[in-house]
Formats: sequence, C-alpha cells, structure tokens
Amino acid sequence: MSKSVPLRRVVLVDDHDLFRAGVRSELGPTVEVVGEAGSVADAVPLIKELDPDVVLLDVHLPDGGGQAVVLEVAPERPGVKFLALSVSDAAEDVIGVIRAGARGYVTKTISGEELTEAIHRTADGDAVFSPRLAGFVLDAFRTGEAAADPELDQLTSREREVLQLIARGYRYKEVAAKLHLSTRTVESHVSAVLRKLQLSNRNELTRWAAQRRLI
Amino acid sequence: MLAGVCAGLADRLGVDPTLVRLVFALLAFASGAGIVAYLGAWMLLPAPGAPSTSGARRIGGVVLLIGAAVLALHGLGLDNSFVFPLALVAAGAALALGAVSFGLRPRTARAVAAILVVAGIVVFLGENTRGSATALLAPGAVAIALLLVLGPWAYRLARERDAERAERIRTQEREELAARVHDSVLQTLALIQREPNDPRRVATLARRQERELRAWLYPSSEPAGDGTLAGAVDAAAAEIEELHGVRVEVVRTGDAPLDERTQALVLAAREAMANASKHSGVDEVSVFLDADTTHVALFVRDRGAGFDPDAVAADRRGIAESIRGRMERVGGTVRIVSAPGKGTEVELELPEAET
Repeated sequence: MSKSVPLRRVVLVDDHDLFRAGVRSELGPTVEVVGEAGSVADAVPLIKELDPDVVLLDVHLPDGGGQAVVLEVAPERPGVKFLALSVSDAAEDVIGVIRAGARGYVTKTISGEELTEAIHRTADGDAVFSPRLAGFVLDAFRTGEAAADPELDQLTSREREVLQLIARGYRYKEVAAKLHLSTRTVESHVSAVLRKLQLSNRNELTRWAAQRRLI
Repeated sequence: MLAGVCAGLADRLGVDPTLVRLVFALLAFASGAGIVAYLGAWMLLPAPGAPSTSGARRIGGVVLLIGAAVLALHGLGLDNSFVFPLALVAAGAALALGAVSFGLRPRTARAVAAILVVAGIVVFLGENTRGSATALLAPGAVAIALLLVLGPWAYRLARERDAERAERIRTQEREELAARVHDSVLQTLALIQREPNDPRRVATLARRQERELRAWLYPSSEPAGDGTLAGAVDAAAAEIEELHGVRVEVVRTGDAPLDERTQALVLAAREAMANASKHSGVDEVSVFLDADTTHVALFVRDRGAGFDPDAVAADRRGIAESIRGRMERVGGTVRIVSAPGKGTEVELELPEAET
C-alpha cells in the first residue's frame, strides 16, 4: 500500500467485545473504526446514521445474524459495503449472508494485514473470497446438472480455475501470476462469481445448502 | 362467621365469601345439611398459618361432608334406598382418590375403599331390583367397583412414570453436556492457565479445542465421515497441528471413499504437511482437497522459506520416499513447486483408477 490510499470508515458489528477490541487494534492506519455494535438492533440504526464505507459483519448475532443487518440496511444505504467475518464454518450461514448482499467472507483467523487489504478491496467494490468461501462455492456449483440459466447458474472454466487457486491458498496477485492474467482480471472473475452466487436461482444452490443443514 | 370456614373456602376456591356463606345458609334448610357440611369443611381445612390437618381429622371431615350430602339429598326428597348406597360409593371413591393425603397406607385405603364401593353398589341393587336380577348384576357391580377404586391409582402411576422418564432424559442430556464441556473446554482452559507463558503451546491448545468444539456444534458443516478421504485428510491435518504447533487450514470440495490409493494419498499429504511445518518457518499451512469418485487432487501450500527442488540433498528422504514413492506406487503423480523465499506447494494427484 505504497500509493496514497484513501482512509476507509468502518463499522464493526460483532457481539464479542474482546473480538472487536482485537480487530480494532490490528487494523492498519488506513482504516478508521467509526462505530461498533453488538446486535442487529443496535447495528441497523448506527450504520444508517454513520453511513460508513464498509461494515465488518459477524455472521452470527444474538438477535438475527448478519443477514438481517444487510437486508435492513442495504435498501436505504446502497453505498455501504458489507464484509462477513466469522468463525463459523457452516456453509449455509456464510452463503446466506453473501446472498443477502455481502461482498465477501473471511474467517476470524485472518491476519490484521490481510483484513486491512480485504476492507480496501470491499470498499472498492470488489469481491473478497477466502479459501474457505472459494471451497463452498466450488462445492455449490459442482454438480453437472443442466442449469436453467447457464449464464448465471454455471461457472466458466476460467472462474473455476481462479476459485481453485484461491481455495489452495493463493492471493489474488499470486493467482494472476499463475494464470498469466492481470490482478484486475482476477478481481473481475471473482466479482462475476459473487454475482452468480447472489443472483442464481439455481436449484442446486438451495438444495445444497438445505442438505448441509440436514445431514 | 363462626370458625372462618366460609372465608377460608372462598379463598381456596377464589370466589366471593358472601357467595359461599349463602350456599351454606341455603343448605342448612335442607335437613340441616349446611350445618353438617360446615363442620366437615372446618375439620378438613387447616387453620390459617397451620401447615395442614392431621389424617384422622381429615377422615372425619370427609365423613361429615358425605353425611351432609346424604342429608341434602334427603332434603330434596330422594329415597333412602338410593341415597345410602350412593353415600357408601362416594366414601369409597374419596378414600381411593385421597388415600395418601388421609395418611393411610395406599394398600389399606384401597381395600377399605373397595369394600365400601362394592357394599354401596350391592345395597343399591338389593333395594332396587328383585331376586334373579341381583344375581346377574352383582359381578358387574364388583367389576365397576374395582374400576372405580383402582382406576385413579393406575392412572396416577402411569403419569408418574412418564414424568420420571422425561426427567431422566433431561438429566441425561445435561450430564452429557457437562461431561463434554468438562472433558474438552474446561481441561483446555486449565492447561492454558498452567502454561500461559508458552504462546505456541497455548495456540495449539486453543486450536485443538476450537476444532473439537466446531465439529460438535456444526456437524452439518463437517459431513466427512471417518471412513472417507475428506475425514482422513481432516484427521491428518489435526495431527500435524498437534505435533508441530502450526495451523493447517483445510478447504475441501467433494469426497471419495477411502481405499488403498486414497489412503496412500493421505499419507503422502500428511508428510507434505509435516515438511511444510518443519521447514517453511511459517506457522500456517493451506490444504485444498478437490475430490470426486474418479479423480482426486490435493494441494499442500505454505508461504515460507521455500527451497530449490533440484538441489535437495539426498538425505531428504521425506520427499523422495514418503511422498513421491507412495504416490507412484498407486499410480499417482507428485508435483512440487518451490523456490527460495517463495514458499512451497506440493500437488498430489490420483487419476481415475484403471479397473
């Protein structure tokens, strides 16, 4: 981050004070935490009032979950971007928040440096895929069943390649080098996958999530 | 008015005391039933503040109340041949239902109650039917008596057993939860408190605990069973985390059955994870498993020191034997991408088996 990086205003939503304090102290100087909330009820009015660039959002909240926050805020504050942050491995929860409109998902074990980078990426409107999310998406789009809308319901082979590398632990820059693409191109592939994930009516996606909940 | 019976009764029933007094007054006109009932109620109800009445006093109370009922029915003009048997049956039923609160042993109470009820029914039939009919009806009367007396007892017994069973299940669940929390979380916390100055050890303990708890809380997100490839990879990663104090992040899509070939792949992958933990100098290793029934690929990656694969000394048997040898014996391939300072990635692949 040698270029002049704009200062990003961030709201932290997580029900654990200790965790919020940890994140606050780890974030770099290019990120300013302007507000914090521990529940859906507190978060919604706070975000509407502060209108931050990015909301770091816990998937699990005592009164509804990150999904509820996105659904309530997004229609009124389309400029606010959400990045889901969780310890939960439960695929259906993560996919739920993404489908509600979050721009990405990272696990809480992420380093401060990587989190700072992810916040900037989110603020720029790009998608943030952790290895785990890439794995979930590959799984969800895996079956070869005929899709109703191939444009939305299937991944291109390039997108699949990109996701596989992310799942292997490659960062965007490394993916770009490996596939001889520009970082910008990798970012656009990932954003395209995010769009498919959010808009696809693909039956398997819901069935897949449902199965995971039931098994 | 007299002994506070009306007020006490009203309090019990939750109605206006005036109403109760009115009922007693009216009953007093029916052959004096109200007065007898008042005495009976006085014997039954504990004085305000007293814990409860004695068994004998309660029996007396019930007898008086039944007497009052007999008087009242008389007052209404009913025949003796109907009223007295009814009184006997009522006394029997009262005994059967209230044996414990009367301070009687249940068996004694049931016997007495049965006798009372049968006597009541037989007297009733004897008074109201003629010869032959009595002979036919008597056994039926006995059966009805037994049902009346034993029914409530059997019903209560069944209810108690259901409640007991529900309570036992609740207790079992609570105990299981407590045992699990004790075996896992509390033990880990105790260990961490004993070694707070060894951050590596603390991190390892916390990680193991997290993994265990997660597998328990979110079983749906961990569909990998014990007998599958994904389960075996998870287990290998957990072992390496434990042994070397690193974090192994496993991402996987799909799964495959565990057989000779996939087993070899797991062992090779485990060796690759161990190498990354020991030689990379970083404390995080990424593993990605991409599997379906025909094709399996597994990647072990670190961002550490890296090395020049061509210049590996001959004594580094780890890669040559444990990884390459294992994979080639089952028809798989190994690719190692590494350079000094650039980290290392080991790719293991099993193509479709030729059967």
